Amino acid sequence: MTDTHCPYCSLQCGMTLAPRRARGGAVLEVRARPDFPVNEGALCRKGWTAGGLRGHRERLTTPLVRDRTTGELSAVGWEEALDLVAERITELRTASGDDSVAVFGGGGLTNEKAYLLGKFARVALGTSQIDYNGRWCMSSAASAGNQAFGVDRGLPFPLSDVERADVVVLVGSNLAETMPPAARHLDRLRERGGRLVVIDPRLTPTGERADHLLQPVPGTDLPVALGLLHLLDAAGALDEDYLAERTTGFDDVRRSVAGWWPERVERVSGIAAEDLREVAALLADSERVMVLTARGAEQHSQGTATVLAWINLALGLGMCGKPYAGYGCLTGQGNGQGGREHGQKSDQLPGYRMIDDPAARAHVAGVWGVDPDSLPGPGRSAYELLDALGTDGGPRALLVHGSNIVVSAPHATQVAERLESLDLLVVADIVMSETAALADVVLPVTQWAEESGTMTNLEGRVILREQAVAPPDGVRSDLDVIAGLATRLGCRASFPLDPEEVFAELALASAGGRADYAGITYDRIRAEQGVFWPCPDRDHPGTPRLFADAFATADGRARALVVDHAGAAEQPDADYPVHLTTGRVLAQYQSGAQTRRITDLRDEGIFVELHPMLAGRIGVRDGEQVEVSTRRGALTAPARVVPTIRPDTIFVPFHWVGANRLTNDALDPMSRMPEFKVCAAAVTRAVPAQRARVR
Amino acid sequence: MSAPTAGPGRVVVVGSGMAANRLVESLVSRGVDDITVLGGERYAPYNRILLSAVLEGTHSVDAITLRTPQWYAERGVDLRLDARVDRLEVAERCVVLVDGNAVPYDTLVLATGSLPTLPPIRGLVRLDGRLHDRLHSFRHLDDCLRLSADVAGRLARAEATGGDVRAVVVGGGLLGLQVARALSIRGVLTEIVEGSEHLLRSHVGAPAGKILARNLDRLDTPVYTGARAVSFTDGTESPDERCGLRLDNGHTLETDLVVITAGVRPSVSLGRRAGLEVRRGLVVDDTLTTSDPAVRAIGDCAEHDGRTSGFVPAAWEQAELLAARLAGEDVRYDGSRVVARLRATDLDVAVLGEHEREVAAGGEVVEIANPIAGTHRRLVVREDRIVAATMVGDLSRIGLITQLFDRRTVLAPHEPGDLLLGDAPVRPVVLTDEAEVCACAGVTAGRIRACSSLETVRETTRATTGCGGCAPTVRQLLAQRGTPGPPGPTAPPGPAGTAAPVGSARQRPRESPEERPERPESTERPDSTEGNLR
Repeated sequence: MTDTHCPYCSLQCGMTLAPRRARGGAVLEVRARPDFPVNEGALCRKGWTAGGLRGHRERLTTPLVRDRTTGELSAVGWEEALDLVAERITELRTASGDDSVAVFGGGGLTNEKAYLLGKFARVALGTSQIDYNGRWCMSSAASAGNQAFGVDRGLPFPLSDVERADVVVLVGSNLAETMPPAARHLDRLRERGGRLVVIDPRLTPTGERADHLLQPVPGTDLPVALGLLHLLDAAGALDEDYLAERTTGFDDVRRSVAGWWPERVERVSGIAAEDLREVAALLADSERVMVLTARGAEQHSQGTATVLAWINLALGLGMCGKPYAGYGCLTGQGNGQGGREHGQKSDQLPGYRMIDDPAARAHVAGVWGVDPDSLPGPGRSAYELLDALGTDGGPRALLVHGSNIVVSAPHATQVAERLESLDLLVVADIVMSETAALADVVLPVTQWAEESGTMTNLEGRVILREQAVAPPDGVRSDLDVIAGLATRLGCRASFPLDPEEVFAELALASAGGRADYAGITYDRIRAEQGVFWPCPDRDHPGTPRLFADAFATADGRARALVVDHAGAAEQPDADYPVHLTTGRVLAQYQSGAQTRRITDLRDEGIFVELHPMLAGRIGVRDGEQVEVSTRRGALTAPARVVPTIRPDTIFVPFHWVGANRLTNDALDPMSRMPEFKVCAAAVTRAVPAQRARVR
Repeated sequence: MSAPTAGPGRVVVVGSGMAANRLVESLVSRGVDDITVLGGERYAPYNRILLSAVLEGTHSVDAITLRTPQWYAERGVDLRLDARVDRLEVAERCVVLVDGNAVPYDTLVLATGSLPTLPPIRGLVRLDGRLHDRLHSFRHLDDCLRLSADVAGRLARAEATGGDVRAVVVGGGLLGLQVARALSIRGVLTEIVEGSEHLLRSHVGAPAGKILARNLDRLDTPVYTGARAVSFTDGTESPDERCGLRLDNGHTLETDLVVITAGVRPSVSLGRRAGLEVRRGLVVDDTLTTSDPAVRAIGDCAEHDGRTSGFVPAAWEQAELLAARLAGEDVRYDGSRVVARLRATDLDVAVLGEHEREVAAGGEVVEIANPIAGTHRRLVVREDRIVAATMVGDLSRIGLITQLFDRRTVLAPHEPGDLLLGDAPVRPVVLTDEAEVCACAGVTAGRIRACSSLETVRETTRATTGCGGCAPTVRQLLAQRGTPGPPGPTAPPGPAGTAAPVGSARQRPRESPEERPERPESTERPDSTEGNLR
């Protein structure tokens, strides 16, 4: 029996694993673990069936090397595979420089892996070219949090604080489907008499719990925030004392929303002025307002600005730093939080330090035992990195850990082309993912339950996933792979194999940084149900709630920043007349590389959700095939006709290959987040060839 | 003459209204740095749209200020308030102020807005040329503040004496209705006089205008249409004595004050005296240039393609476009789509496009009138697109209709009708055994029905152990155990406007996005309403 956490989303639900003998071999049984406060024993079906990840017949157990002339992959020994990779890397570095080798990480990797991957890139490879898929997750909220509060921790309070707010405003979150146990906190909020406002172009299971549901045009969450702030300012409902004492810049923000009266917001967002007024009245009358954003608000070319607009609303009401109130981001990936703190992001060093800060470089170089000047500077962001692969001056080799780029990147057709143009693609994965299938070298690695490591959940709580079973023969941990390559590349810095040892080094490297883990140990995590960062020393209790007295800016005040609505990069027109938005379904996680291989999670496949009015327009019934096309690609899938989506918008889940061939690669200028959540699309009935001729 | 691609040089803007402010914002963001703004009012640029909100009391003056003088100063823009322009010397390229100072320019932008039209009412203007004290126009912030103070004083005195305050609004256009509602909400007994046969003459047809008048009557604001005010007789003794506004039908309305909202006309006198081409407004081409190549005009004072606008979105589009042009981009103005929304509490009106023009151009009218409910909604459809719309009393799908109008979405023949019809009522639904009840664990109603207790449900199916949202449904299914569910899979959803049959928590019937329930409890929730489950 091992107390650990779920392998999937940022909720990192507590669970207990019990290995059990059964017919056909050992089974890993998932049991409820009621003592962990985030989920209190509740799990969704992904969690309950997580044991199925073990021993799957598609599990990779031997390194594979591709013969480029025949395209065939053949099994090789570990030494041969690692030798080959190291040899090729050395050749490329000699021929084209250190930046010719790039690394791509993931928000699902443990803190230890993320940390060591960043160190490996900077020290063993000497490359600036490292980034990760979290750039496509909450980078807009991260950028906004850093600008407004001087720190980026998804939730600055424990998730259960939700229950004690008066009003919770969820902007672009479908947590009842994406992290179901979290919805229990919403239910308790409402049992206490609190109100829930949900803002989403679709009525989702989360929206069904809402007291007020606003369904804006995709890409217009920003003007909705501006309009609410306008009404609150006009009503004299802003907390003037708080604004004077704890913020700077709010006067300019106030002026900037004077031009966003509700009828103007209505025209832009499709939210009736009256509905906006009702929500504003609710907010004006509430003591404790909590605003939570998620990918729906953030994955836009104006994602950072959108989050800043909602932060301004929370600041205007005097909520940030107040108990059971404020602003937070609902992080998505399992280690989306920790993954962005320890150096696998192109502009960062461990402890959420910035790589262009000389003091940060000196500190981290000291821990690593290298010359600060030897550390490379900032590199390309995720999409820009992928877009540069194989191009003039771009990387020629890529090492991928914990990411299925082919499915999760925007404008995926082009990204796949870029991967194919590489001299060397190395993918470490547990199964033959769509990305691994393109690789020159595939390295089979350990997964959840076969290894230990820490994760930092959406609350900034550092938790420990414990090893519960022995890994299958033939696989190695990512830590082992990194160390093996570092040694072969002649790097003398330390690359420990034991996660706890790596964590101790990470803690040292993070000491004094914004995300300070210095006082956290595996034993403390076990004893305290996780520890919230910052935790600068062993005697520090950790920090469940931030901002009570000051923000993490130089003067301790929050920054209110003026933002304005520019709209989605691609607007509907005569050829592509509807909005396409993308998102998740309950039974799948991310690119589905794990969840689609679990037999208990029925894979219903990709679908296109559309309103009956639109279905009537194109003459399609529920279940019939429709073709969705954008300027970048097309897909055919069955229609799911529901009255719960805006009639001018269609929805496609992104877990399957295809959805991200449609999405737009326009980037947010601050976070470099691609615009996954809205683009212009055409939808038509997919007519069988014979019928087409008759017509 | 400078080539069109050269920089704008020294830019002088006459006017500090919404068009001028947007122009300056846009010029500043594009790096144009030599800008002088000559504002005729003494206030920093404010949101004129919201003056009736200030009168009503929902907005403070501070809350409608768009930019402070400090903002201008910090960006090096020379903002001169209360700067009255005497004349333009276009040959010398300078603006001469009333105080005699001359302001030279390379590029002059006229954003002088519009002025209220004063109807020919005897006694309106005093011998000295000023408006009578009891009369108010409503164009500028000063007008608004003077009216607001007048109202406040009268209400206070009336409260002391147990009397009341009466007002007549002359002109039943959008502004008149907003002012009337604002006065009414302040507690003033308000009447509206409209010279034409119905309200909102320039925006809606007669049936809609009449329904609107009835709606106002229900809000205790009588409307007199087809009646012109002809003379005003003031109380001679005290400021609180009632005055009389005599109508051309012989009636005289007793009132304490009169607000004139009888339309506006473009403010063109500076341009006209300088010899610029003027028809209704200052005539501009697609580059927003007047007949003098160094002089541009934007906003209410400009006339493009035979039309003047009078609406902020058009003024802002012109301002943005002109800023882009002055910064060197080759962009051209080709008109604006107008969406006019009445901002008046308890009075719902939206006007999209120009319905008379579109009907004349062959647009087909789809409309539903319900005078009993006080609603009138009309769509004008041409080439499968909504090209104009007027909605009175019911804005339930305004958000969607505006999007379809603005984006010129091509609709199927049934859609305009569907947009105006309400959704069919939601039918009570029985969950089939195949219907999914718990999405978190993927459990059907049949599997719940096969369990004997909540405990068994948890252990054998794991329903209710995820998000917890299905717990009420599960409890009801257990309570009604023994009654088998109907056979067969759930049917596909019906056509637009009808609710899909319900199979699960995921597929509950819902109103369309535009008809949101205030609280979910007010809709029929199959999982929480006794009798939905058998």
